[in-house]
Amino acid sequence: MLHPGVETYLFYLLAFTALIMAIFVVTARSAVHSALFLISTLITVAGMFVLLHAEFIMGVQILVYVGGVMVLFLFVIMLVNVKEEETESARIFTGQQWPAIILVFLLGAGFLFSMSRLRTDGDTLSNSEKLAAVTAAKARVAVVAGGGSHNTQEVGAALYNQAALPFEIASILLLVAMVGSVLLARGRRQEKTLDGPPEV
Amino acid sequence: MNPLLFALFIQASETTAQGPLSRLQNGPPLSTFMTLSFLLFILGVAGVLTRRNIIIIFMSIELILNAVNLNMIAFSRYYQLAGGGNIYTGQIFTIFIIVVAAAEAAIGLGIVIAMYRNRETVKIDEIDLLKW
Repeated sequence: MLHPGVETYLFYLLAFTALIMAIFVVTARSAVHSALFLISTLITVAGMFVLLHAEFIMGVQILVYVGGVMVLFLFVIMLVNVKEEETESARIFTGQQWPAIILVFLLGAGFLFSMSRLRTDGDTLSNSEKLAAVTAAKARVAVVAGGGSHNTQEVGAALYNQAALPFEIASILLLVAMVGSVLLARGRRQEKTLDGPPEV
Repeated sequence: MNPLLFALFIQASETTAQGPLSRLQNGPPLSTFMTLSFLLFILGVAGVLTRRNIIIIFMSIELILNAVNLNMIAFSRYYQLAGGGNIYTGQIFTIFIIVVAAAEAAIGLGIVIAMYRNRETVKIDEIDLLKW
């Protein structure tokens, strides 16, 4: 059993790391560095999933994102191989700083606006109502908290009971993506073999 | 809306840590997770809008999707703490977002390779054939 406050400290440690790494993802000069910083961000977010008791999603995040998608990214970076960018004089940003700043400030204003509305409008419950709610919820959580984590089992059951059709659609999506990426990334020689000799 | 969830939600957005509901969970309040997710999201948006290398733009999109995933999982957890019904809906959504992100990365990087073969560049301001 963890000390009660330790989750908060872990959260702030992970959050700080994730934000610093995300800043480096956006500002790193070389694409390889950017990919490695993105891997760090993904791993810290996976740690946050553990704090939120979503152990199965943590495993999926590590296996699919870090083990699959990011390795794919690194392969493509090696195939494309841009040396020019690593020189100090090369431009790494487009001239779109101002639209980006404006959009970021608009998003921030929207976020703060919605959060502040939540804070002022909502506090209609009396303290005794809140306390009753807490007691009821504590009883439920206590039942859930007994024994080890059954997260994977329960996510699997929920996936097959409530989301069976989306699951099948996802498999078709992955098949289409697989065929499409093979078709897009084939070389000129393979294109010639596949399409046959040019018609006269 | 479930009044219990509503109470927890309100508590999570309060700045004081001494409310009765804050003792329900040991971790930080929901609003902290939402703020972190928002910051990751705007970093991704800034990356998409400002970088020249198309591969780094793809990585910024992955950052945005991860911010959304974090938000989903946080809401799922706090809904569970509030005694909600379908507590795994958020996690199932996250699984599908990860599936779509993997498919998107495969197709997008295939397009990058095809484009690099034809144009010898991955800079988005040099790929402007459709621009007028």
